[in-house]
Amino acid sequence: MKIKFLTVLSLAIVVLLAACGKSDADLQKAVAAKLAADNVTGVTVAVDKGVATLTGEVADITVKNKAEASAKGVEGIKSVVNNTTTRPLPAATPAAADPMLKGKIEENLKKAGCTGATIDVKDGVVTISGTVPDAKYAECIRVVQESGALKPNNLLQKGK
Amino acid sequence: MSLQEKYQTLLELANQNGTSYELSEADGVLHVNGTAPSEEAKQQLWDEYNRIDPDYRAGDLMLNVSVGGAAAGGGGHTYTVVSGDNLTKIGEKYGISWNQIYEANKDILKDPDKIYPGQELKIPGA
Repeated sequence: MKIKFLTVLSLAIVVLLAACGKSDADLQKAVAAKLAADNVTGVTVAVDKGVATLTGEVADITVKNKAEASAKGVEGIKSVVNNTTTRPLPAATPAAADPMLKGKIEENLKKAGCTGATIDVKDGVVTISGTVPDAKYAECIRVVQESGALKPNNLLQKGK
Repeated sequence: MSLQEKYQTLLELANQNGTSYELSEADGVLHVNGTAPSEEAKQQLWDEYNRIDPDYRAGDLMLNVSVGGAAAGGGGHTYTVVSGDNLTKIGEKYGISWNQIYEANKDILKDPDKIYPGQELKIPGA
């Protein structure tokens, strides 16, 4: 009875493997090769019953997304579990002390024609308020964004 | 949702249009510092930023992308002298002494008491 059961079971496994086509080991190699070809580094892949699981630490979310798309594109992969994590980011530091940031932003706003905007800088946080013409708005915001400050606090209004 | 997730289309776009960038983070703000290959590529990033965060109100991104290798602001900050200025007054705007400005501009200033409207002064440390 027991022997008969085992025979049936092993037969079933043989049939199942044949139906699957590529083995998990083959698929694992294919996904790893695809990741390498797509310049995705730092990702390890395991394949179980056609499901690829990705692990490892990657530079940022674009690499994470790319790894998933690459694995999904391999023939025979049924689905992808993306367990990769993004690397912790370094802490940003302000480019200069508060008064220097303020002076620089004010002068650059003046050069950009952003009269009507007021600036305050405290602990690297730049608050921009006041009203500037609609057409100038984006440019005035850029001055703040490109100042090297830590954080923007945008209270600027669009006028005519 | 992480900030990287929120701005992932912006970062994908940077990869596509040839903008190199580095990420850092401070107190709930994602910093994207990079170099775009052209003004057009830079503008694409700004358009995408405005699409994700209309009018740039969220205060959770600092997008500092320059074009073609030059540092944003283009090789150091300058201050344009206006009528009524003197070096002490200009220094106060930046939290530095008049002498620091004078030292940085000795090539164009003969006398620290004589500056003229329209002159472009280099601001050290900016």
